[in-house]
Amino acid sequence: MASYYCPTAILTDAQKAPTTFSLAVPALSHSPLNNNSGTPITPATTLDLPLWLAEMLAVSRPSGPASAPLATLDMPSALGPKVMNALTADATSVELRQQAQWFYGLGERMLELFEDEEMGAVLLNTFKKRALEIADKAQNTRTAQQGGDSGDFMSGLDETERQLFRAAHDGTHTVKRWFEATSRG
Amino acid sequence: MHSDTRWPSLSPPGLTPSEVGFLCEMEHVTVIPRQTLDGLELLGGPTGALKPPFPTPLPLWLALLLKKQRRANITPPPWLSVEALTQILDFETDERTAELFSPSPDLPPSTTSAPLEGDPYLAHDSLELSAPFLKDTATARAQADALPYHWLEIGHLLITHAPDDFEDLDAVRKLLRDLREVRMSKLRKGFEVLDAGGGVKMNGVGGMEIAEVRGFVGGVVDGLRWVTD
Repeated sequence: MASYYCPTAILTDAQKAPTTFSLAVPALSHSPLNNNSGTPITPATTLDLPLWLAEMLAVSRPSGPASAPLATLDMPSALGPKVMNALTADATSVELRQQAQWFYGLGERMLELFEDEEMGAVLLNTFKKRALEIADKAQNTRTAQQGGDSGDFMSGLDETERQLFRAAHDGTHTVKRWFEATSRG
Repeated sequence: MHSDTRWPSLSPPGLTPSEVGFLCEMEHVTVIPRQTLDGLELLGGPTGALKPPFPTPLPLWLALLLKKQRRANITPPPWLSVEALTQILDFETDERTAELFSPSPDLPPSTTSAPLEGDPYLAHDSLELSAPFLKDTATARAQADALPYHWLEIGHLLITHAPDDFEDLDAVRKLLRDLREVRMSKLRKGFEVLDAGGGVKMNGVGGMEIAEVRGFVGGVVDGLRWVTD
């Protein structure tokens, strides 16, 4: 999806997922990963680690291919059953931004790691429904600038959706500007 | 007017509306000269000499320039008349064509001589001419019952810069606006069937119309692609 330097990819991977260690890692007890708390990291401690780190730990098998990995990765709450149900019920009313700023990016990463067809289908439908709503809003910015209940939907958009809105708005705007520019002179 | 200065998203592939507007000026229109002028050796090919009162095809940008200098008048193409636009608008607003756009002008027969069998690069279809190289889409010989690819841009430029060459300018302007609205709403209706791997049937859609939605549609299809893997 993105190159090494792509800021979107970097920020997406910085989002956190719950990771359960399967062995003790005393050396990291005072690290920022543990909120500098000093509580020892024992087997079965669960921390919220950024995806890029969590994935590495979950995939690594230090004692050979047959052994257990260093940690197991769970689905972040943003993609948990409560959110999924809310999205199936009414996709446009969920504030995705509250769940995760790069919600779809997070979903894409988790789908890479877990084969969850149902989640994939929910995300697909959600994206489509919200995209239609975004197209609608982009058309009518004249009437509903920042006010009313349209504000809730707009503030709940994640980054990908914000870019989509900008693209839709820019398209109409640039065409309008071309008409105006060619009407002069 | 280019958007490549936005960071982090670089300008997406495809033409912007201003680029489409620029390219449409390559189309030929029929000009009625008011002064004699020699033909010009343009990069794209020579233009005919201008001998009043004989109509001559010229690229739109040159026609507009001459019009501004009062050296020529521009003949609106047959599809840019009240009768033609009304007929096309009726087609577009008919309930039975809610999913279609009015058909584009008929394409000329292909000009390639010998396609190599099985070679897609040289097959007849891949060497089809496209706008703005199709002949006579906006000259006096244009098809009257079809909107060419650059209908919106050419229509706008002609009513703006050659208003006196029209019989009923206000009616034409209103019809163009109505057509644009109807077709835009059809295009937006098509958003509902966007899919990661799918295509949307858009035969007959125009250049500026595509340019307006390109950013959004591209973004949606990309997003769907990422989530579907």
